[in-house]
Amino acid sequence: MGFFIFGVPVRNAVKIGILYSTTGPYAAMGRDARDGAQLAIEELGAAGMAVEPVFVDPHADLGAYLDGARHILRDAGCRHIVGTITSAARKEVIPLVEKYDGLLWYMCPYEGFEANENVVYIGGCPNQHLLPLFDYLIPRFGSRPYLVGANYVWGWEMNRLARELITNAGGTVLGERYLPLEETAVERILSDIEQRRPSFVLNNLIGPSSYAFLEGMRRLAERDPAFLPENCPVVSCDLMECELEDIKPGAALGQLCAASYFDSVETPENSEFKSRVAARFGAGRRVSSIFASAYSAVKLCAEAVLAAGSDDPEAVRRELYGASWPSLLGPLSIDAETNHAALPFHLGQINTENGFDVIASRPALAADPYLTGKRSAPSPKLRVVS
Amino acid sequence: MRETPNFAGWSVTVLHREDSNTERLLRQLRLLGLKATMQWKPITTSHLPDMVIVDADQGFDDLLPWGGDLPTIPVAALLGSEAPGRIAWALKQGASAIIAKPVAASAVYPALVMALSIHEERKAAAAHAVHLEERLRLRPIVHAAVRKIAERHQVDDDRAYGILRRSAMSRRMPMEQLAASILGGVEPLPEAS
Repeated sequence: MGFFIFGVPVRNAVKIGILYSTTGPYAAMGRDARDGAQLAIEELGAAGMAVEPVFVDPHADLGAYLDGARHILRDAGCRHIVGTITSAARKEVIPLVEKYDGLLWYMCPYEGFEANENVVYIGGCPNQHLLPLFDYLIPRFGSRPYLVGANYVWGWEMNRLARELITNAGGTVLGERYLPLEETAVERILSDIEQRRPSFVLNNLIGPSSYAFLEGMRRLAERDPAFLPENCPVVSCDLMECELEDIKPGAALGQLCAASYFDSVETPENSEFKSRVAARFGAGRRVSSIFASAYSAVKLCAEAVLAAGSDDPEAVRRELYGASWPSLLGPLSIDAETNHAALPFHLGQINTENGFDVIASRPALAADPYLTGKRSAPSPKLRVVS
Repeated sequence: MRETPNFAGWSVTVLHREDSNTERLLRQLRLLGLKATMQWKPITTSHLPDMVIVDADQGFDDLLPWGGDLPTIPVAALLGSEAPGRIAWALKQGASAIIAKPVAASAVYPALVMALSIHEERKAAAAHAVHLEERLRLRPIVHAAVRKIAERHQVDDDRAYGILRRSAMSRRMPMEQLAASILGGVEPLPEAS
């Protein structure tokens, strides 16, 4: 079997499967997500809400996700899974979660066009990240972007939507290129970008491909200032604090990322949270959006199960919809029709300390996974905070 | 590039008896932005929705008003059975997508997109066929006009056909129409060029 299993038996505890890969191309995210889940479990336990976690590590192997989910749902008897990072893994696991009538708590930004009863989405879909990101970029940098992406559903769909947004804005997509998950040979894409001179670059690469690309863009900018971040930024919706350590120092400085949480978000809840993280994981530890969302997902799951008095998904969903749940991301409400959380939008700019400075924010946006337009609230003007 | 299909504001009628399948289906239709109604009686041409989803397991012939002709709106079929007769029934109603029962939430949007897209393609193909049939029907008229031009200008049929075609293009009218006008004496014979 391609994964390790270890459970912590606690009597009458809430049983939650935790499904993350701590090795492979997105290992940095998986480790942070797992730590976030672990912290939530410890804090819940200390507060008298015992959680019995079943950790499974599929090591970024799609087949092992399926085996892992089956183990969690069938053998370990959990009704709830917090986890999966890539959309490929989520889509792989969903049919099993439906079969065993469980709930998957998915907490990463994704490409939308999904609203499954057996999934609670708290990571954000495009009207919560890509659309406000483009609202910010197009008036400031222009509407002639270059699109790069990882060669799977996330990259394809995000770039397809981006192309549609750009076409509707009367702009032109100057290029669209894909790289396999672990590919780091970015030179051909870079020379194409150098030649075409886009107004900005949308980066939907993940892991080492993304880091190599950002480093390459820095080399390009050193040769030609037209490619400095202030002139032609590289923007993404999935870059995190925990990854910045893996990028050559300074290489990503000034680039932009959209997320519903940054370590630097200034709220009383966040500063308190960060001191707890520092106490548990050491003072140098930056909280990434995936750490925060995995933490929030486990807490929300356990609290909803306890409030429902049962881990039956239908009872848990009913409990979820009715209330606004205090969380690290602000008060969380889950829409009863879409099963998606309303989420704030923050735009972060990478600073010299491997963190993000929040340069613009929007209050919580209701999710509109199929972009029907009917759920998008009249868009408040983006509040620029610096 | 195809635009992302968006069904917000569309009306859809689900022809099905109420059960757990329709509950999930209606939930998904609502969140896709459609206004869904459900009934288990025939729909009438005077009250057509934008789209119809019909139960092919239990469906009977009068449920849909187009009696085997090309439907005027996109049709998707709900199907739990594998019985060839029920599949044939769905095809006869003009269904261009199937939503398998038990209904999976993720099956609904793709089926709507397929049903709409195939419906549009069929409509376009049918209109194209009508257009071609009309042109075929008028071929003898074109041929007669070509003969007339060939005799007048003492050229072969190919040259004559070229003259007629150029002349129709410069007047921005179909060749068949120009040919009929020439034969009827409404238009003078085009000059050879």
